[in-house]
Amino acid sequence: MEAAGDAGPAGVSPGNADGEWLRVHPASPFVRGWIALAAIGYFFGRDIFERLIQGGPLIDDRMAGRAPWLLAAGSVILVLAILGFIMTWYFTRYQVAEGYVRVKTGFLFRQQRQARLDRVQAIDVVQPLLARIFGLAELRFEVADAGESAVRLAFLRMDDARQLRATILARAAGVTPDPESPDAVVQEAPEQTVLSVPPSRLVGSLLLSEQSVFVLLGAVGSVLLSVLTGNSGFFLYLIPAALGLAAAYWSSFNKGYNFTAAISPDGIRLRYGLLDTQAQTLPPGRIQALRVFQPPIWRLFGWYRMHVNVAGYGAAGGNGEGGSRTTLLPVGTLADVMTMMSLVLPDPGTPDAARIFAAGINGRENDGGFITTPERARLLAPLAWRRNGYAATDTALLLRSGRWWRQLVVVPHQRTQSIALHQGPVARRFGVADLVLHTTAGPVVPRLIQADVDVARALFQEQAARARAARKRQTSEQWLAQVAPATPIAEPPALSGQLAPSEPLAPSQDGPQNG
Amino acid sequence: MPTKAIDPPGITWLRVSPKYVTVRLVEWAIGNLIAVVVLSLPLIFVLLGWWTWPPLWLAVTAPSLMLILAVWRLVLIPRQVRAIGYAERDDDLLIRGGIFFQRVMVVPYGRMQYVDIGVGPLERWLGLCTLKLHTASAGTNAQIPGLPESEGARLREQLSARGEARLAGL
Repeated sequence: MEAAGDAGPAGVSPGNADGEWLRVHPASPFVRGWIALAAIGYFFGRDIFERLIQGGPLIDDRMAGRAPWLLAAGSVILVLAILGFIMTWYFTRYQVAEGYVRVKTGFLFRQQRQARLDRVQAIDVVQPLLARIFGLAELRFEVADAGESAVRLAFLRMDDARQLRATILARAAGVTPDPESPDAVVQEAPEQTVLSVPPSRLVGSLLLSEQSVFVLLGAVGSVLLSVLTGNSGFFLYLIPAALGLAAAYWSSFNKGYNFTAAISPDGIRLRYGLLDTQAQTLPPGRIQALRVFQPPIWRLFGWYRMHVNVAGYGAAGGNGEGGSRTTLLPVGTLADVMTMMSLVLPDPGTPDAARIFAAGINGRENDGGFITTPERARLLAPLAWRRNGYAATDTALLLRSGRWWRQLVVVPHQRTQSIALHQGPVARRFGVADLVLHTTAGPVVPRLIQADVDVARALFQEQAARARAARKRQTSEQWLAQVAPATPIAEPPALSGQLAPSEPLAPSQDGPQNG
Repeated sequence: MPTKAIDPPGITWLRVSPKYVTVRLVEWAIGNLIAVVVLSLPLIFVLLGWWTWPPLWLAVTAPSLMLILAVWRLVLIPRQVRAIGYAERDDDLLIRGGIFFQRVMVVPYGRMQYVDIGVGPLERWLGLCTLKLHTASAGTNAQIPGLPESEGARLREQLSARGEARLAGL
C-alpha cells in the first residue's frame, strides 16, 4: 500500500483535472478481488485448521518432504495474484476532459475507451458492502448500448465518486467550465427528496407479492400431499426450495430497503439498499418508456410498482441487478405514482393530467378520454376489453391494459423509435389490430391491444406525425440547452397526486392532437 | 385484396422483385421437403417390415400432414412475396408484409442507427439483396428482402442521407 500517496490527485477533485489521467483508489483491487483472496486463504487455511483441531501435526507426514515446495508454490500464486491486482490498478487510468470520459486499461492488451459525456443515459454510484466499509464506491457510466456499462470506475472514494458524477452531469448538461477559474469545483446539484418507501410497506409488498401466492399454494399442496400419502419425509425435499425463497425475499428486501427518490436539475436520483447501496441518476429525458403495474392483491392496499426503460440499462429482467435498476418505484401509493410521473414527464401535455393518469391506472371504458377495444371484439378479451385502450396527450402516449393485472404504459412521443401495426386472422375477423411502439430494450413493452382497425390505423399515422414533431422540438442532447436554466422541476413537485401543469419544453406544439 | 386491411390510406407501395419468389421457393424446398422425407422414413420402414411400431395409420398421417402444410406454404409464397412492400415518405419509411399475419411498420429516418445490406449466394445469383434497418430498439425488425441490387444500393444511400439530415438522439 505504499502507493497510497499516488491517490492524492484523485483525492483532490476530479472536477479540476481536465487532461490529467487519474487512477482509481489503490485499495480497489483488493475490494474487488477479495473473493479470490478469500478463496486462496480458505484453500490453504482449511487444511491447516482441521489438522490443528484434530491435534495432528501441522503438516501431513506424507507431505512433510514436499511442504517447502507446496508453500513456495502457494506463495508464488499469492504474490502473482497480488501483483496482478496491483498491475491492473496501476494501468487503469481515467480522465474527464473535452466532453469525453476516457478510460485506459490493461498492460499486455491495452484498451482505451472513450465515451461522449452528452451521450450519458444514466450514472450509478454503487456501494457493495465491503466497499461501503472502506468508504469506497463504484461509478457506472451508461450509454445507449443496452448492455454492459460503458465505463465502470471501481473504486473511488465516496466523495470523489459523487464529485465526478456532478462534474460529468454538469458537462453533459452543457455547463462549460468558467475560463477564468477552470479549477472551480463543480457543485453537486441541489436535490430535493420527493418520496421514500417506508420499510413496513416494503415488507408488506413482499409478503403480498405474486411470489407469496405461489409459496402459499405450494405449502398447501405439500401439506395435502403428505397427509394423503402419510409420508412426512416428503418435507425434507422442501428445504432447498425454502432456502431459495428466503434468498429471493432477502434479495428483494435488501434491494428495495430505504428506497428514496429525489429530484435535482441533473435528473431523478434513486437511492436504495440495505447492505449494498446504490444511487442512480437519470438525467432528464433519458427515460424511454414507463410502466405502472398493479397485481391483483395489491389493489387491497392501493399499491403500485413502476418500471422504466433506460437505454443504458438493457433488457435485464426479473429480480437480478438489472431488474432493480429498471425499477422506478418498488411499491408506492397512487400519490407516489403521480409524483414520479410528474418527475418523468414534467410536461404531461394536457391540463387534466391527474385525471387522465388516474383513469389510465385504475379506470375503465372511456374515463379520462381513453379509447378502448370495440364491443364487437369483447370475445377476444372477455374481461380486459373495457380496459385495453389508449389516450394521447401532447407529449406522451398512454397505453392501458389488464383487468386484474392492471398496467399503464407511458411513452413520450419524442422517445418513440418505430411503430408497427399487427393483425392476425382472428383479429381481422373481429376488425381489430394491435399497435406496437418500439423502444429501447427494457422491461416495458408498449403495445396497444385490440384496438378498432380504423382507430389503430389513424393512431399509427398520428403517432408517426407526433413523434416527428416531438423530435424536431428536441434539438440537443444537452438538457440545459433545451430547458431554460430556471427549470420547471426546480419547484417542489406536487405531492398530492396533482400534476402541476408546468411550462412546455418548447413553445411550438405543432403535432396534430387527439385529446 | 385482403392485404389492404391495415395499410394506412393513400400510400403507393413499391413492391419487391418477383424473382424473390425463387429464393423463397428454394428455402421452402430445403426446409419442407427434408421434413417430409424424414417424417416418411418410419412409413418406409414399416412398409418394409423392419419396424412394427408405429402403426400404419400414424406412419401415414404424420408425413401427409407435413406434406399438406408444406404445399399450403408453397401456395402462399407468391402471394407473400407480393404482399411485401415499402414506401419512402418525407420523414419515414413504411414497410409492410404478411397476408394472414399482417404487419405495417413505420421507421423514422432520424431514428435509424445503421443500414445493413445482406446478400446470400442464391440472392447474388439472382441479383437481389436484403436491406435491414436498425434503430436503438431491438423490436424494430425492419427488413426488406428481395430488392434488386441497384434498388438496394439506391435505397441505402437515400436512407443514409436522409438519416443524417434528420438525425435525432435517442
